[in-house]
Amino acid sequence: MSTQSKIPGEATHASTAVFETATAAVQRFRPINQIHQHLCAFHFYSHDMTRQLEAHHFCAHLNDEVRQCLIYDSPEKDARLIGIEYIISENLFLTLPDEEKCFWHSHEYEVKSGTLFMPGMPGAIERVDLEKVCKTYGKVFHFWQVDRGDILPLGIPQLMMALTRDEQLDPSLSLKVEKRYGVSFEEERRKRESMSGPEHGVHPMANGGGGGLKTELRETEMAAAAAAASIPRVFV
Amino acid sequence: MATSEDQPAALRESGEERQPPGQKMGVGQHILDKGSSMLQSLKPVKQVSQHACSFALYGDDLSRQIETHHYISRLNQDFLQCAVYDSDAADAHLIGVEYIVSDQIFETLSTDEQKLWHSHAYEIKSGLMVHPRIPEMVAKPELENLAKSYGKFWCTWQVDRGDKLPMGAPALMMSPQATGAGVVKAELVQKRDDYYNISTDAIKGSRVEIEEPEWINPQADYWKQHDGKGFAIDIVRTDMKLRVPFP
Repeated sequence: MSTQSKIPGEATHASTAVFETATAAVQRFRPINQIHQHLCAFHFYSHDMTRQLEAHHFCAHLNDEVRQCLIYDSPEKDARLIGIEYIISENLFLTLPDEEKCFWHSHEYEVKSGTLFMPGMPGAIERVDLEKVCKTYGKVFHFWQVDRGDILPLGIPQLMMALTRDEQLDPSLSLKVEKRYGVSFEEERRKRESMSGPEHGVHPMANGGGGGLKTELRETEMAAAAAAASIPRVFV
Repeated sequence: MATSEDQPAALRESGEERQPPGQKMGVGQHILDKGSSMLQSLKPVKQVSQHACSFALYGDDLSRQIETHHYISRLNQDFLQCAVYDSDAADAHLIGVEYIVSDQIFETLSTDEQKLWHSHAYEIKSGLMVHPRIPEMVAKPELENLAKSYGKFWCTWQVDRGDKLPMGAPALMMSPQATGAGVVKAELVQKRDDYYNISTDAIKGSRVEIEEPEWINPQADYWKQHDGKGFAIDIVRTDMKLRVPFP
């Protein structure tokens, strides 16, 4: 499944490829090298549950209670970088102001339903980490609405939510993913029965605080100093 | 509700403590992580092939300026996608995503979309954007490409205001410019230069031959030609279109 062909632009020039071979060999990518884990799950828009998509999370731990993940639309080489998710422990979540809590979603249902999984990982190993993920909260923004067919990242960031109960997930999307990765959500659900969510239960302010949320762009007036300094464009 | 301009009082860092709160990772987690990276292919992140260091300014307050580390992968000659961090260290915070497109692609965007993008010409010509450890001579052809490109950068973790966890809505970022509020503070540049043992001024001198774009679209760097107008993102309540109840 190639996405590259859908993005406008010329094939990479030979000189550019040579340059990037050099940079890849000489430069260090320390923050990227911390990424150790691939999680697959589903996201939907915080204002529209009917728009759902498969999200591939590539995650690094900042410590035992904070993970930061790059979200791609596929696990392939030409995947599009469509968003960011932060994952934090229940402990840290509870320190957030209520106004902030509603942007975060719980992971209990996603884990327990089997719909959050780690492609390529043996189930027994996967489940050790999922025990922990089950108790966490996540905050996701998508910047590229590939589900509506955008060939470029257009518009403003979108706050995303995750599954919290049965029948939210579009069965055709579910089937497609189960088939592609050779997993069975039902089977996994049974194996994860004993797992438990946040110690204090899913917080009522999480998951949008029980309602929908949407992002809006607002034009602002910058401080007077900035306004005064904006001059007709004369380059350099 | 929240906006990207909010200054939440909670969760500020004190003193030099940069890292988010949370327990250290145990041995078990380290073993799990090691195992996952051996068993999982992680193909998309292995496409990262450039590290560029530069600076960015908040789109609604240009006086708030940050050093940025872009880890870049290419989807084709005209399109780059970047994971942006606040340093080049292993414990760097992932603070946002930037997309970079060529001028040809940029000109196909609607004017409303173009408002959200910034130009890169000055950042390149001034020496502010550098590829650490790469000799200028080697980087020159790519710098020529980048000088004509435009970027769209969303910052999701406002580490500079001391947020210990990512708070609020994403912020739109702008690029450094030659004049007025777009000028990057000298001390910020000096700190970067000291760290990499480079001189932005000397690099600027070596880039005089890099061709300047004949035209920069005035919708980009919107504040420059629109009386200092900036943009912020708000998150507001709305009804969710449902399949079944939520949550």
